[in-house]
Amino acid sequence: MNRRGAVVAVLLVACALVPFVVHSQYVLQVTDTALIYAIVVIGLGILLGFTGQMSLAQAAFFGMGAYASAIASTTLGWSPWISIPFGALFAAAIGAAVGYPCLRLSGHYLALATIGFGIIVQLVFINARSLTNGPDGINSIPPPHLGSLALDTYQTYFYVAYGALLISVYIAWRVKHSRIGRAFEAIRENEIAAQAMGINATHYKVLAFVLASAFGGLAGGLIAHMTRFISPDSYSFDQSVIFLVMLVIGGSATITGAVTGAILLTFLPEFLRPLKDSYIMIYGAAVVLMVIFMPEGIVGLVRRLIPSYQAPPAAPMHATNSIADSA
Amino acid sequence: MFDPSATLQLIVSGLAMGSIYALVALGFILIYNAVGVVNFAQGDFVMFPSYIAVSFILPSVFVFGTVMHWQLPTVFVYLLVLVLMAGFGLLFNRIAYYPLRDRGWLPVVISTIGVSIFLRNLAQIVWGSQPIVFPSLFSVQTLTVGSMHFRSQDLLILAVAGVLIAFQYVLFERTTLGKQMRATAQDRATAQLLGIRVDRIVAITFIYSVLLGAIAGLLVSPIFTVTKEMGGLISLKAFAASIVGGFGSIPGAILGGLLIGVVENLGGYYISTDYKDAIAFVILIGVLLLRPSGFFGERVSEKA
Repeated sequence: MNRRGAVVAVLLVACALVPFVVHSQYVLQVTDTALIYAIVVIGLGILLGFTGQMSLAQAAFFGMGAYASAIASTTLGWSPWISIPFGALFAAAIGAAVGYPCLRLSGHYLALATIGFGIIVQLVFINARSLTNGPDGINSIPPPHLGSLALDTYQTYFYVAYGALLISVYIAWRVKHSRIGRAFEAIRENEIAAQAMGINATHYKVLAFVLASAFGGLAGGLIAHMTRFISPDSYSFDQSVIFLVMLVIGGSATITGAVTGAILLTFLPEFLRPLKDSYIMIYGAAVVLMVIFMPEGIVGLVRRLIPSYQAPPAAPMHATNSIADSA
Repeated sequence: MFDPSATLQLIVSGLAMGSIYALVALGFILIYNAVGVVNFAQGDFVMFPSYIAVSFILPSVFVFGTVMHWQLPTVFVYLLVLVLMAGFGLLFNRIAYYPLRDRGWLPVVISTIGVSIFLRNLAQIVWGSQPIVFPSLFSVQTLTVGSMHFRSQDLLILAVAGVLIAFQYVLFERTTLGKQMRATAQDRATAQLLGIRVDRIVAITFIYSVLLGAIAGLLVSPIFTVTKEMGGLISLKAFAASIVGGFGSIPGAILGGLLIGVVENLGGYYISTDYKDAIAFVILIGVLLLRPSGFFGERVSEKA
């Protein structure tokens, strides 16, 4: 194992010890949430960072996973170990159905179509009372069990979220470094040239959209069985925007960027809480400053500060620039 | 069941709401044409001036938790709000756009999102989270014609929107400033070569867009209450309107806005009140799939 691999392995084990070191329930809850958000943002990164397509409906897929898993485990009595993957599959299926017509559009148009879709989904959560229990939401969602042990504390749930995140990172990494990932990148850089090379752009764009939906749905199921209560207001357009901000602040074309952005921006409002009422306002201002002063996201900033860090050739914000060129 | 007089009332109030969408959509489009970016804070430029206005108009308002008794004359307050928002438009241009102007559209979009979060929560800190009722300007609330009733505010909205659109037409077609704005939107580099101070024109465009939002806010707040979320749905529907009309097209934005206003009002009455807010987005997705360039758009898909 090379030096970098060893560092990564040590870091992964160190992270797994967090629930033994941290005893505050509140900090653990934020940590679990951050890990789950990281999965959502990795999904969005596959779509925006790898493939260069923008979606503002990620919270809708997150919500679909949450509702599908919650309904399957409460009404149908499924085990969460089955209902959570079912939520991911459900979101992916809807993603395929929506992605096919929508991905004929690109740039701002795609972004706008996904906004419309996201709002319709939230209205369905609110109004389809027989299925979703309307604005009151669904409660008493069961926690997953390991044998006879209920994983109903933030300590134990940490490992569910952490495991799911590691699997997600692994899948995203494998996708990125495969034929599919290279096709995504070709489409991001120049869709027409990619098609000239024999890449079926529509097929791969829909695939990226389906993967993004599946990651969103998986995270949705995970959050539903953690908080054990879900309601429509968690899956708003604003939440989609927050996921997008996490990705761009982290560095959109790298998996590390997606995870860093999600974790940092989940904790940032919590750090700012001592400022009481003004904390979200400061958060908004911080977002503006970060975009202005960290053009390549957090990951890009770290790379600039540590010259010895061997950066892969692709610059994180490159995706955005090429979108700009074509827009 | 079909009721002609109710339908006519719904059409008139739909046109009024549609004019609001049209004004906000114009704000989107002018900035988009000038700099190629969708401004996600546009809805907050509807909300924020409404708060400022209401705190000077009402006899007593809680500002930072203390009671204020400003109660200034309404016309004066409206002018004050417009001056303040013009300054704010300039500030917005300098902070959220200017430093990022060479970096493509996504960073600017994110920075306008940051401004939006900032403004909503600033409003909550200053004015609290309770909705504030904006007093009506009229002593007579409704105008009755035969068996039909029209809200005075709706008629005011239609009149003001009509005047504004006429003003904008004259501005763009007949004045040097308007021609410079159009030239900058069409081709920045060439405009600059011809001696137009492009950065200044872009700043003026931002100010004008913010003012359009502010006027829409002042017009619509007597119908709704003033809340920090009031701009959100209005701006998303205005977005939809600008796409339906053909993104980048000014007549398209106006007609798209009116169309969405009327259809959602009729749909809310005849189809489903629960899903009234979804109607605009169903139209949006339908138009995007069938005719992505909208009714007045020139391009078939995103510029290649």
